[in-house]
Amino acid sequence: MTPPAIETDGLTKQYGDSTALSELDLTVERGEVYGFLGPNGAGKSTTINLLLNYIKPTAGTARVLGHDPWNDVVACHQRVGICPDRFDTYDERSARRHLELVIDTKRADDTPRPLLERVGLVDAIDKPAGEFSQGMEQRLALAMSLVGDPDLLVLDEPFTGLDPHGASLVRSVVEAESERGATVFFSSHVLGQVELVCDRVGILHRGRLVAEGSLAELRDRCDLSADATIEAVFMQLTGDSVRTGEVDR
Amino acid sequence: MALPRWFPIARNEASALLTAKGPWLLALLLVGWAYRPQYLAWDELGRNMTVAFLQSAGSVLLPLGVLLLSYRAIVEERDTGSLKFLLGLPVTRTDILVGKVIGRSVGLAVPVTVAAIVLGLLGAVRFGLFSPLLFLGVTLVTLLYVLTLVSVATAVSAVTTSTVRATALVFGGFYLLLTVFWQRLASGPVYGALTGSAADPYAAPADGLLFVLLRLTPERAYGVVTNWLLGVGNSGAGYSVVLTKLQPGTNVNAFVVDAAFSQTTAPAFLHEALGLVVLVAWCVVPLALARYRFERGDLA
Repeated sequence: MTPPAIETDGLTKQYGDSTALSELDLTVERGEVYGFLGPNGAGKSTTINLLLNYIKPTAGTARVLGHDPWNDVVACHQRVGICPDRFDTYDERSARRHLELVIDTKRADDTPRPLLERVGLVDAIDKPAGEFSQGMEQRLALAMSLVGDPDLLVLDEPFTGLDPHGASLVRSVVEAESERGATVFFSSHVLGQVELVCDRVGILHRGRLVAEGSLAELRDRCDLSADATIEAVFMQLTGDSVRTGEVDR
Repeated sequence: MALPRWFPIARNEASALLTAKGPWLLALLLVGWAYRPQYLAWDELGRNMTVAFLQSAGSVLLPLGVLLLSYRAIVEERDTGSLKFLLGLPVTRTDILVGKVIGRSVGLAVPVTVAAIVLGLLGAVRFGLFSPLLFLGVTLVTLLYVLTLVSVATAVSAVTTSTVRATALVFGGFYLLLTVFWQRLASGPVYGALTGSAADPYAAPADGLLFVLLRLTPERAYGVVTNWLLGVGNSGAGYSVVLTKLQPGTNVNAFVVDAAFSQTTAPAFLHEALGLVVLVAWCVVPLALARYRFERGDLA
């Protein structure tokens, strides 16, 4: 049987006395588009950083495509496409060079041009990334995540810094990847976009998963009407934390 | 057979350096800095004086330049967030370290080799043809020194969390203490603490411990090996100081084994070839320690 795309068991991350993520049990099935939501500081980035081996857990286990993300990082990342949050590009290197680095380490058959065409950045193929706007950097990162037709796409806040055209482009890329059979896992606080693309959402609040399911299921759970927006669901589930200015890790 | 996973990272590092101005400016400065004809060196070394220029290039300025161009290798990517791309690739963190060290070393070795060749050509035209084998030997040792410096700087870069801290460690610690002031530090406070009295550079005791201390740093080990190849004497100091020290009736403040042990035989562990072991150890040990921490730490 194919293992789930993501499976965590009691995944916990502490920084000194503060708990960034507490005993997360999460399963993302193959082929799903899963939106990972929560207010700032809820632990979304911590979860993604753990799954991608950017940081190590305090306790718990995780499997990404059946691999241990910390000890089996090569096999794991070979099949995962990553679009990180709060990244920076290499200023002097062109978009082409950025993609070549990913293509070569993944030993993929891709070429930079079609990938940049998919994200609408082909005109800037030989431009140094230092001249890119934030939206262009985001598109470049998205193109880099598509290299090698990954089985799992992990997109951390993919809508950040994008105008409506950019956001719609991300959505269509997500839909196309999902159609191809890829699993998509993304975090976001841009709720309107989440609603449009997700099969299932998980809501994280103060380091804990407080709700999970399709939007309809969550509406039911909150006793909200069928036309309630995801925003209403979100506010109800995470209400008291919206104004707390916790540091997002 | 597929290329190793770190290869694309190394290639990117190398090409980033080779297309930047810094390394080539360093090469230019090295030539200007190192071309220093002297009567004594000419008398003692003849046409091979040109090869000795390489040692001048390799001391003081080369470590400064290589460290400057390497110490940000990882810590800066960590600060800006571009490290997230590298960490997201199908590579281990060790692959990232190896790719960085090898790529940066190649990216700096090329301009340093070009500087060596230019020095060689200048010297050959002005003073005649030197021993090509000796030239090759000293160039190779210089490149090993470049690798060692890149390795140390990358190791520090991998375990520090801010560029400021990396700067302090690399320049305040490694460059000032272990490179520029090591002779004074080792023979004075360090040797003094171990034996009760500091060593006088004008009248060094015939003590193996003192000379071992002196040659434990990469800079001094590089001096020991290159002086050995040049045949000027057993010392980690610059060749011209060593030549002066060994002239009858002269004395300078340098520690030279042949002068200190003129009445007795020097212990075997002061053999110059062991300088290569010191260089290789500095190349491997700091990086291995850094790897241990880098593999386990949180990087975001």
